[in-house]
Amino acid sequence: MAKHQSSPQSASSQGANSQDANHTLEPFFVLHKAQPQATVVEKVSKSRKGRKKGIESSPKSPEKSKRTTSDEQPSNTLYEQWRFKAFNEIWSLIQSSIEGVLRDINLKLFNEVLQWIEDSFSEIKSNVKLSSSEILQPYPLLADTLCRKIPTAFVLTKNAEYVDDIQTFCDLGSHLKANRCHVANMSALDFSLKFGIGGSVRSLLRQLHSEPLDGKIADMLTLAKWYCEEENNDKPIVVMIDDMECCNADVLGNFITMLSEWVMKIPIFFIMGVATTIEAPKNMLPSDALQHLNPCKLTLGTPSDRMNSLVESVLVEVCYCFSLGHEVSVFLRNYFLRHDGTITSFISALKLACSKHFSLESVSFLGLYMLDQDSEERWSEKFVYLPESMKRCILNLHSCKSEKNLQGGVGSIVQQLSDLKASQRFWSSVVLCLFEVARYSKMQFLDIFCEATDPKMYCMNGSENILKKHFRCGDKNSTARSSSGVGSITRVIHTIREMPVAALSNLLDKWNNHTEEMTEINEEVKKLQSVLASVDEGKVYEENLHNIRNRKSVSVISGKGNSANEKVAMLLDAMIRKYMKPLECMTLHEIICFRDVDVLQSGLIGDPRKTIQLDLLKCHSYLSCSCCSSDAKNLSPSMHDTSIMYKLAQEFGDVINLYEWYQSFKTVLTSSSQTSRKRGCPSPASKKAKPLPPSETEALIQARFCGAVTELQISGLLRMPTKRRPDFIQRIAFGL
Amino acid sequence: MAPKRKKVEVEEEEARAQVEVEEEDEEEEELAFSRNYFLAKEVGSASGKRSAARKVSEINLVDEQLLRASLSELPTKHEKEIGSLLESYKGLYSNWLFELRCGFGLLMYGFGSKKAFLEDFASSTLTSYTVVVINGYLASVNLKQVMTTIAEILWEHYKCKAKISTGKKQQTQLPNGLKSVDDIVTFIVDISDDCNCSVCLLIHNIDGPALRDPDSQQHLARVSCCSCICLVASIDHVNAPLLWDKKMAYTQFKWSWHHVPTFVPYKVEGLFNPLILFSSGHVQTTKTALVVLQSLTPNAQSVFRVLAEFQLANEKEEGMHVSELYTKCREQFLVSSQVTLNAHLTEFKDHKLVKMRRHSDGQDCLHIPLPTNALEKLLQELV
Repeated sequence: MAKHQSSPQSASSQGANSQDANHTLEPFFVLHKAQPQATVVEKVSKSRKGRKKGIESSPKSPEKSKRTTSDEQPSNTLYEQWRFKAFNEIWSLIQSSIEGVLRDINLKLFNEVLQWIEDSFSEIKSNVKLSSSEILQPYPLLADTLCRKIPTAFVLTKNAEYVDDIQTFCDLGSHLKANRCHVANMSALDFSLKFGIGGSVRSLLRQLHSEPLDGKIADMLTLAKWYCEEENNDKPIVVMIDDMECCNADVLGNFITMLSEWVMKIPIFFIMGVATTIEAPKNMLPSDALQHLNPCKLTLGTPSDRMNSLVESVLVEVCYCFSLGHEVSVFLRNYFLRHDGTITSFISALKLACSKHFSLESVSFLGLYMLDQDSEERWSEKFVYLPESMKRCILNLHSCKSEKNLQGGVGSIVQQLSDLKASQRFWSSVVLCLFEVARYSKMQFLDIFCEATDPKMYCMNGSENILKKHFRCGDKNSTARSSSGVGSITRVIHTIREMPVAALSNLLDKWNNHTEEMTEINEEVKKLQSVLASVDEGKVYEENLHNIRNRKSVSVISGKGNSANEKVAMLLDAMIRKYMKPLECMTLHEIICFRDVDVLQSGLIGDPRKTIQLDLLKCHSYLSCSCCSSDAKNLSPSMHDTSIMYKLAQEFGDVINLYEWYQSFKTVLTSSSQTSRKRGCPSPASKKAKPLPPSETEALIQARFCGAVTELQISGLLRMPTKRRPDFIQRIAFGL
Repeated sequence: MAPKRKKVEVEEEEARAQVEVEEEDEEEEELAFSRNYFLAKEVGSASGKRSAARKVSEINLVDEQLLRASLSELPTKHEKEIGSLLESYKGLYSNWLFELRCGFGLLMYGFGSKKAFLEDFASSTLTSYTVVVINGYLASVNLKQVMTTIAEILWEHYKCKAKISTGKKQQTQLPNGLKSVDDIVTFIVDISDDCNCSVCLLIHNIDGPALRDPDSQQHLARVSCCSCICLVASIDHVNAPLLWDKKMAYTQFKWSWHHVPTFVPYKVEGLFNPLILFSSGHVQTTKTALVVLQSLTPNAQSVFRVLAEFQLANEKEEGMHVSELYTKCREQFLVSSQVTLNAHLTEFKDHKLVKMRRHSDGQDCLHIPLPTNALEKLLQELV
């Protein structure tokens, strides 16, 4: 059994000792127990944080910080805790926003399900009234098979990946529980051939019983007894299976048949998630089970609808404290569209981006105060206690280098931060206005978001207006660009020109809400609203608007002249140019903007198949030794054995002849070491090989060969020889 | 009677030969379909040249013991560079801890053993966690025992907390009463929310032989979801991500990938892997063949010798006809009848010393499935 090691000393420093040697061959062991001291230190600093004490009080006593190598480390720990606190608060804000959005989008379906359950339940109750003793009697069974049908809702998830639906079904479960239902949330694992129907019933009981089963037999009678208890009676039991198609058909079929025997005594309802079509249950389940189901079809929203809502509420409305740079946005968009199209993967990518931002950006904790009403005061308060090194960190941010105003001191930094906050508010207002149009024309919000974060777009906007640019490009070009996410904003503006008056009026109402903080624009919106209200249907609005530029070119191409649509489009164009300044164009944006797309990509997608091969083929780039050649094609005896072997293996086809491989390896080790000896440049291999007799040299080479093959086998790059083909090894990975 | 029996035996031989040919064909087929058309062509041409391919037995192998001794004392190349590479990872320890606290699982990959440096990370940085190390590279890992240990650690904390605030979930049973891994995992999940301790599971080779089955991965995934448990794991196999579906990867393990090649030799991880030069069969077959032959009668040994000498003298021949062998053995007074020879041959075939082949002329012939040098060595040692 496990050995408990009391002192958590460095494992590497004691690598050679016998205890470690034992540990390598133990299946598992406890390396160390949690140190109470560490928790205390964390708690102390947390309480300091709570009292808003400054950095002067943060350095710990030398006794407490035994591990520190410099004086700065304790303060670094403090900043790390601040950043962690900022991450926690901001992520919980984002998460609650995500949960709210997903709940709202599914609420219609949830209410539909609840209504269906209530109707069916009242129908059953009106037909059958049984006493507890009747319920507990396993026999006689009801003869009428029609009565033995279980009301079943097949929820079409429209999602090939059921991972998104797990949360939906959990939310549905909570919604039903809150509305007087017993709920058991089951998955394909509960309907496996390994555990059979017994496992399914046990899982069902475990979820319904609030107490553990404690050795009770998991059968229907136990369920009946539980249902007869006063607090459980008179409520429907809803069994939810999120991924019905992944279940074992026989086990699920038996489960349905068995429950159908009891359906008149215990009111059971099924809610099953179906990823493909409504035909799937018919194709999958045995007919005798199918006849016991009374089906009803419900449909979930599509992933793209959910994505639009998420982008709107998470990336645009909650963007003051954490936002994504353009490259990261484009990466996340492609990750969603091309990787798997699941909301779950998108959210996990967003969380990783958030954690990477707060982990890697030393001054990111300042972003937390963006949320406060009195941000400026909080920043000023914070800056008083910040040491010079941290202030230097802020001034060294890439966006600050060209900014001469910041040299003025704390006041100017706080001013810049306030500007950043205001700019983000305006930016999000304009993007929300764009989304309103996109909603009308069913465009993807994520495309618009990516374009709205593009700093290049802003630079172009400075010189010419979007309409002009759009028309110069021509419709063909813009359609082609829209597929790659570029040109979405121009499409939005184009949509406005073709909107009917009623839709335009609705749009302006919504814009009125979004533009409350931009007084100038808000006034224009109101003017347009009043004008639209006075215009009769079909009548063209002919009043001139002062700030419309390039009218000629616009009217020539659109052919509609100065219509109301045109003026709304012009207004949007003006809004974009004036207020939609991408975050990356702002000073100090690094505090709230995550831009490191490479870090995110490597954290999200490991790709060990490619990377491990690259490690072997380009080991020099990691080891940077002086003895080996940096040229990937050159083989020298000083190189890592496995690397030599894998490079040699590239010259073979599907199968590698062991003899030939060994001879090539031997040649690399020996002939090159001879040449290096002649040259007088000693390599580690030649040093070792020199004094040894030939047999031992041979043993060493063979040992190196065997060791390298074992390492390649552990990496999964080779398949070992079969009995029939003992002289050949099969290669598994080809190409990168 | 005798001819009938002979006929049955011949039929059996034919059936066996047929099975062998079919097995070989299947393997060829598998290889051919393993990759695309062009590579299949390449394999086809490689198999055509196979007769000319060199054998492992042609390598002048040193003694296995000597090789193992050399392997254990093998000096590590680039020790200094590897040291500085590992040192550079120490700067990332605080970021990794940050990610662990954010709720991610750390997944370390890249070439080289990550055992020592991950334990160093755990010892130096994860001091506020109770760290349980699982050596997944060992086939002897028993997940039930691991889960029991974790349950015991959590239970200890849970009991302490329950003492302080009495009357909370008193009905929860002791881990000792739990029977299956599933029960223990459920128990851990149930009590984890009420535990104020932090446990870190450090799994070396989560893709190791004892952990790569779906059940073990499911159990680990469920445990990794617990609020008081975090996971640091390493993988070495290039196909390890195939172990997890999207639910496990995104909602349970919540991996944050880290590429940390170390180039440290896989000494412990490869401890139980067979040495390639000694596992390919020839060395073992020669030794085992000798053991089998020495246990047979001198006459049987002599029959084998006749066959072996014929094979050495006629390397290009597909094998020796049974009738020819019978004639030669009879000449040397080794067998008196076909039945006696058949008895010897059955013995040889049972121990896979001899195989029956269909000669191109349609007759059955006998063949010893050993390369020439191995056969020569065998005959020398048989004296």
